Amino acid sequence: MRGTTPAAAVGRALILLFLAVFGVLMVMPFYWMVTSSLQTPQNLVAYPPKWWPAPAVLMHYRAALAKAPFLLYYRNSLIVAAISVGASILFGLFAGYAFAIYSFPLKGFFFILILATLMVPIQVTSVSLYILMAKFNWIDTFLGILAPDLASAFGMFLISQSIKGMPMDLIHAARIDGAGEIRIVLTIIGPLVKSVIATAGLILFIESWNDFLWPVIIINSERLRTIPVGVAFFKDPYDINFGPLMAATSIATVPMIAAYLFVQKYIIKGIASTGLKF
Amino acid sequence: MPSILRTARANRWHYAYLFILPILALFGLFRIYPSIQTLAYSFFDINLVSKVFKPVGLKNFLLLARDNTFQKAVGNTVIFAVWIVVASTAIGLVLASLFTSKMRAAGLFKAVYFAPFITSTVAAAVVWTFLYNPRFGLFNSLLQLAGLPTRGWISSSKDALASIIIFSIWKTIGYNMIIFIAGLQNVPDSFHEAAIIDGAGGIRRFFSISIPLVAPTTIFVVMYNTILALKVFDQVFVLTAGGPADATTVVVLQIYKQAFENYRFGYAASMAFVLFVLVISITILQYRLSRRWETSF
Repeated sequence: MRGTTPAAAVGRALILLFLAVFGVLMVMPFYWMVTSSLQTPQNLVAYPPKWWPAPAVLMHYRAALAKAPFLLYYRNSLIVAAISVGASILFGLFAGYAFAIYSFPLKGFFFILILATLMVPIQVTSVSLYILMAKFNWIDTFLGILAPDLASAFGMFLISQSIKGMPMDLIHAARIDGAGEIRIVLTIIGPLVKSVIATAGLILFIESWNDFLWPVIIINSERLRTIPVGVAFFKDPYDINFGPLMAATSIATVPMIAAYLFVQKYIIKGIASTGLKF
Repeated sequence: MPSILRTARANRWHYAYLFILPILALFGLFRIYPSIQTLAYSFFDINLVSKVFKPVGLKNFLLLARDNTFQKAVGNTVIFAVWIVVASTAIGLVLASLFTSKMRAAGLFKAVYFAPFITSTVAAAVVWTFLYNPRFGLFNSLLQLAGLPTRGWISSSKDALASIIIFSIWKTIGYNMIIFIAGLQNVPDSFHEAAIIDGAGGIRRFFSISIPLVAPTTIFVVMYNTILALKVFDQVFVLTAGGPADATTVVVLQIYKQAFENYRFGYAASMAFVLFVLVISITILQYRLSRRWETSF
């Protein structure tokens, strides 16, 4: 019924055309970043603009890598993201299980208390958290970067909701077989909620990977810089040499975008089903 | 054995508390305690080097009331939030309504539109400093090619806030679109089919079916975008650092500058507290309005 008339076919073609043109605009900054990083210095600032890097040169990449240790930034970002996501999922799994399965005094209070932290963003607490970190001597350390991100109310909530939907028989049977509670969580519940764990893990990973405000506050030394902090300090307000800058942002984003292309279906599905976060 | 202990054992209370202990301890120490301290520190002058915390009463809040830069920051943040919420939500909804499940390349479009959202705001904003450059940037080159007057973009105090807003719309519409696509999928096809039989065109159906039925999603998107916009920092830090001449300064940037450039931690804490009140009151207001709106359908 729908879309059988010629008018409807034209309408659909117009919609596709519109979405395609808009899509080109959306990717244009990425395209411009990568092609600019390969342009010769003359072509980089040529008018009219050069749409294709011919000849393509790697000099900006050499300059970028000579100026900043991007491998180190990657290592730091990976360490921070891995520990933050791992700890958030592990603690979220146990707490999510406790809230879904047990009944205990003050359960509702603790649950609301944990979720209420979502209402107070790091932008509000950063000043007092920094003072606390100063007291702990955690400024300019990995512990300081990680401290506010070792647990996630969002991850805990997602995991708890999906455990709630599970049949209790499974847990009863395991208990009769003599399995302890910790073993039940790790070997029975964990594998059963692995798709939710994957979704939460991906979202938390992206969030940690792109996090900027807290890392830029707590990190002073180059050796601890994560990718966003490294890129922000790579930019020199008095130097308008855009070649190395575009090479630096390409180094910082292209691997992530490539990885995104492989898992984008899951990320988009996960975000659509869970809403929230970032 | 007293009965309370029996209940505790039967219900495995010890496991319950053991399992929620890590998250409670971490949040208590690194989230909840600093939240309370934000208010407490607003009443102090703090010198972290000499470790002197001097109580000053309401001084910080009185200073805030006369701080023109801070008021400019609040104004900019609100303008930014209104633009992001209105434009980004509207564009997201229109884009989402153009998608149909049977459409070719729907997955590709989604992936493309969503890409800016998962990219680091800092890295993307650095790329846009090049696009926005008045002399060598792509935007002015295109304007020139089209025979239009060029603009100052981020280097002109007239255009700078608009430039940050355009960047942020680009960054967030993909997210809003994805959420709206999910919301629209819950609208039964039969609604549209019935409307088509009644002779309603696409635009008519968008306004009288899609918009009302997707209202709960709209409320979520508006609330989410509002809070995200009130917290804006990364792109301002990179694109303009608040300039030219404070034209684009925002609340979080002022907190950052007062605390970590001027070392006025107490003063920054009072700003953070104002931000907290702003976030909470707007959230509650929107929640109230949305309840009233939802029940009116």
